[in-house]
Amino acid sequence: MTTLVAVFAIAVAAGVFGSMLGVGGGIIMVPMLSLVFGAPIKVAIATSIVCVIATSTVAQTRFARRGMTNMRLGMLLEVATTVGAVTGGVTAVLIQGRILQAAFAVLLVYVAWMMNRRRGDAVPERTGVLEDTYFDPALGEQVVYGCKRVPLGFVLSLAAGNISGLLGVGGGAFKVPVMNLLMGIPLKATIATSNLMIGVTAAASAAIFYGRGYMDPAFALPAALGILLGARFGPGLAVRLSARALGLTFQVVLVAFAVLMALQALEVLL
Amino acid sequence: MSGGRRDPSPPASDPGAATPAAGTPTLDAPPHVMDPLERTVQRVLQAGVAVSFGLMLAGLVLALVLKQPLTPRVTPVGDLGTGLAALDSAAFISLGLIVLIATPFVRVAGSLVAFLCLRDRRYALVTAAVLAVMCLSVLIGKS
Repeated sequence: MTTLVAVFAIAVAAGVFGSMLGVGGGIIMVPMLSLVFGAPIKVAIATSIVCVIATSTVAQTRFARRGMTNMRLGMLLEVATTVGAVTGGVTAVLIQGRILQAAFAVLLVYVAWMMNRRRGDAVPERTGVLEDTYFDPALGEQVVYGCKRVPLGFVLSLAAGNISGLLGVGGGAFKVPVMNLLMGIPLKATIATSNLMIGVTAAASAAIFYGRGYMDPAFALPAALGILLGARFGPGLAVRLSARALGLTFQVVLVAFAVLMALQALEVLL
Repeated sequence: MSGGRRDPSPPASDPGAATPAAGTPTLDAPPHVMDPLERTVQRVLQAGVAVSFGLMLAGLVLALVLKQPLTPRVTPVGDLGTGLAALDSAAFISLGLIVLIATPFVRVAGSLVAFLCLRDRRYALVTAAVLAVMCLSVLIGKS
């Protein structure tokens, strides 16, 4: 019973942060479930996948009302991420999970450093490619933007899907910097679009985890209920906060995530 | 890929159409106007979340009231009917999870219909490909 309440409380927090930053709640849920509550790693990952879907769906109903999700961009990159997720098993044969985790940790620190060095948000630019527009209440104006380096973004999304298929987490943390830093999409539109994408990628693997019986109601139930509540509040925060504050929060999460990944790679954790 | 060409009919790409009479934007009245299809998809997603939440909550209440311990495994899809009829908490929770897992499929299918309605063949094709890969992974999971 105490476990039930504790998992629920953590899930509420994971729902708020995950939907606010477009990364899903997995970053928080997997280590918490496996370390603190002693869930087997596959059960932790399966629970986290349910959390990511819940975050994505609830956040979508909030962001779509504001027209912040770039549907075309999301679907185009989603071709790559879903294929990447399905072929995750192939990569698992080729590369050891620990090496991948270590490489990913280094990559995340690098991404956080890049975001910090640039300061501020991507400057919206009309490129004529996959253009979209949304209203930013923090700026008080309509933002019109286009995408850059779409082929590169597509290839990197393949890698993002592959990593999330393999490690169960990490898709969103990688997709947000790719879209924001490389493709020049403003952070708020990036977060809204990432929130759509993580759910689609996760749903593909969720069916597999369900079928193989890795979902444990004792964890999945409080986690899903908590996320469904928490994720209602993240999008509102993301929309109202300044892009600078969002960016800083994101960098902190990236570094924390990198540390967790590095510890797992060194087999200190899990 | 999506080269330098402009998309034929982006839903809200014309800033003039989405901006309200200049300068009076409020926090609670987003200027974005959803088209009917978008709104339908939205309603389906909200209903999915509500149904899923309700089923899981019912499962929790059943477990507490009937003092059933939470089983560590979800109910296989084939056994859901009998489980629900027998007021088995695990069956309610499992169905709630299945409804939740199904929502992204509905989201993508809705976008596919939206692109078809907009006669945006290129992105209808892209979205169909995403849906196909999603369904493929379900099949992989079964075998």
